[in-house]
Amino acid sequence: MGSEFVLFISAAIFSIGSVGFVIRKNPLVMFMSVELMLNAVNFLLIGYSSFLNSLDGQIFALIIMTVAAAEVVVGLAIILTIFRTRHELDVDRINTLKG
Amino acid sequence: MMEFLDQLWSFNLDRETVYGLFQQSLVFIIGMTAILASLGVILCASPIYSALYLIGNMVCLAMLFLLFNAEFLAVVQVVVYAGAVMILFLFIIALLGSKEEKRELSFQNFTALSFVGLLFGELLMSMMVGETKPVLGQVTPEVVQQVGSAKAIGIELFSNHIVPFELASLLLLVAAVGIISLAKFSYKPLRKRTRT
Repeated sequence: MGSEFVLFISAAIFSIGSVGFVIRKNPLVMFMSVELMLNAVNFLLIGYSSFLNSLDGQIFALIIMTVAAAEVVVGLAIILTIFRTRHELDVDRINTLKG
Repeated sequence: MMEFLDQLWSFNLDRETVYGLFQQSLVFIIGMTAILASLGVILCASPIYSALYLIGNMVCLAMLFLLFNAEFLAVVQVVVYAGAVMILFLFIIALLGSKEEKRELSFQNFTALSFVGLLFGELLMSMMVGETKPVLGQVTPEVVQQVGSAKAIGIELFSNHIVPFELASLLLLVAAVGIISLAKFSYKPLRKRTRT
């Protein structure tokens, strides 16, 4: 118990997030999966900052939260723009840039 | 295990042991709830249920942050993530309409799932490494309790980590400018343009 269980929870949520990013076709749910992965990393950083008596992990988690907020805002704006131009939201059919 | 039960029956536990057991069981229960909620995020067909499960997952993680002595970050998690970001998600879902998607298991999905399973196995192997020799820092929980979590983070942030903090503010500015340009210079719908 202790640090192993923190590692297990974090690894499980990260893997579930990456599965969701891969198998879902709705870009909104894909963004939610990215949020899951970022949250798992945040939890790992905070758990280890508690185990190691250091505040560096919490600072890292705070900056990750900032980056995630900015990323979500830009990503949702891009999704909205794609929906306005194409009237569909299936990532398999948005393949204009595919080589 | 039997020793532990004997101790429990005779009530010979001291206060620290009881607190430690209580905290460990709380971490276990809330962590399992977080994992179940994250499963709900990726398994629900409708995005609105995914968003609700994601809110549950974030609240569970905020409670776990509280259990690991990070009160300020728990508050930030609830306000920023479960508040602002999820409200944004719900607005976009309400704007675009939530359409349920069909699910099929293709070969590509199978390949991706096996890859992620391999990744999970590797992460679990990192769990099995066991005791390493950690480098302990100076900030013990007693020190944090004396000054308060928010003040401790503020001192650390503005003394040792001032450059990443300023870069984060720059990042938020860039994101705001990007949003405005995306919203202002939008294109006309595709069907109104002439097809080539």
